[in-house]
Amino acid sequence: MEMLDNLNFLPLAKLEVGHHLYWQIGNLKIHGQVFLTSWFVIGLLLIASLAATRNSQRIPTGIQNFMEYALEFIRDLAKNQLGEKEYRPWVPFIGTLFLFIFVSNWSGALIPWKLIHLPEGELAAPTNDINTTVALALLTSLAYFYAGFRKKGLGYFAKYIQPTPILLPIAILEDFTKPLSLSFRLFGNILADELVVAVLVLLVPLFVPLPVMALGLFTSAIQALVFATLAAAYIHEALEGHGDEHEEHS
Amino acid sequence: MFDFDATLPLMAVQFLVLAALLNAVFYKPLTKVIEERDQYIRTNESEAKERLSKAEQLATQYELQLADARRQSQAAIASAQAEAQKLASQRIAEAQKEAQIQREQAQQEIEQQKQSALRSLEQQVDALSRQILEKLLGTAAV
Repeated sequence: MEMLDNLNFLPLAKLEVGHHLYWQIGNLKIHGQVFLTSWFVIGLLLIASLAATRNSQRIPTGIQNFMEYALEFIRDLAKNQLGEKEYRPWVPFIGTLFLFIFVSNWSGALIPWKLIHLPEGELAAPTNDINTTVALALLTSLAYFYAGFRKKGLGYFAKYIQPTPILLPIAILEDFTKPLSLSFRLFGNILADELVVAVLVLLVPLFVPLPVMALGLFTSAIQALVFATLAAAYIHEALEGHGDEHEEHS
Repeated sequence: MFDFDATLPLMAVQFLVLAALLNAVFYKPLTKVIEERDQYIRTNESEAKERLSKAEQLATQYELQLADARRQSQAAIASAQAEAQKLASQRIAEAQKEAQIQREQAQQEIEQQKQSALRSLEQQVDALSRQILEKLLGTAAV
């Protein structure tokens, strides 16, 4: 990291990892730059939604058409994972996961945040901060526990010992690996993408980083899709469980 | 890189708020719009299907009527032709009969006239033969 810091001789490309714009609330510290960009993302999403639904027509045009396409995409995603019967109440959660991560990733890749100078740290995609991804992953964990408990009550715990109690440690471990893998996959991909682009810009400022940037856009979209799909799959797993499957087969 | 702090819970809360807001302004209204449109399309489609089946029914009905009418017209033509044929043959027969009668009348007349002519001829023959006799034998002989 120090070597990278020493390379910061060009104002165009500066690598800052681990520098944050700290805000103090009471005795709590928060990363200001993450919130600034996340507010931008939230604002974008809300403005687009309001523009789409402000004057909704039977025959959609323009922004309404676009947002309906997005909604249909999300509904299909949730329906594919959760099934026709269960998916409706989970569309807002899974859809917001997808939209928030997707818009965050692309805003990090497409908007030249560098032009806005902060006293410390730099603006980037909210998803390249581990706090954001862990928050989303923990919410996913809570969501699938909630789904399981609401569907089966305490019977949800039966899935830990369902095929055989021998797998109990692995079943418990799964509850930890799920949010861990979710958060680190997203965090690692986005941060690595931004670092690769930054290092390439540092070495060859013109044109060469463009394919990598395009690849970054692609991975950003894929990561959003993966996160939302996995969240939906986990919720589906909690809703179905082993017991239900056996009942269905018998 | 891995410094966790109050960003995490605040981000989680913020995310939940975003989900709630988007649910209010995006998912619910647009889902409603899409479902209403689906409903509209479905009802329109079923109505159109109903109308199509009705139209097909009408078409078959009309075709049946048409065939019926055609059959009737053909029957009418046939009967009219038969009637005309009958009438014509009747007239022909009448005319032939009349002609027959007229011919017979004419023949009778001819026969009559022939008879009367023969009769008058006979009378004349008688008279002449008497005259010839008178001439030859003289009146005394008679």
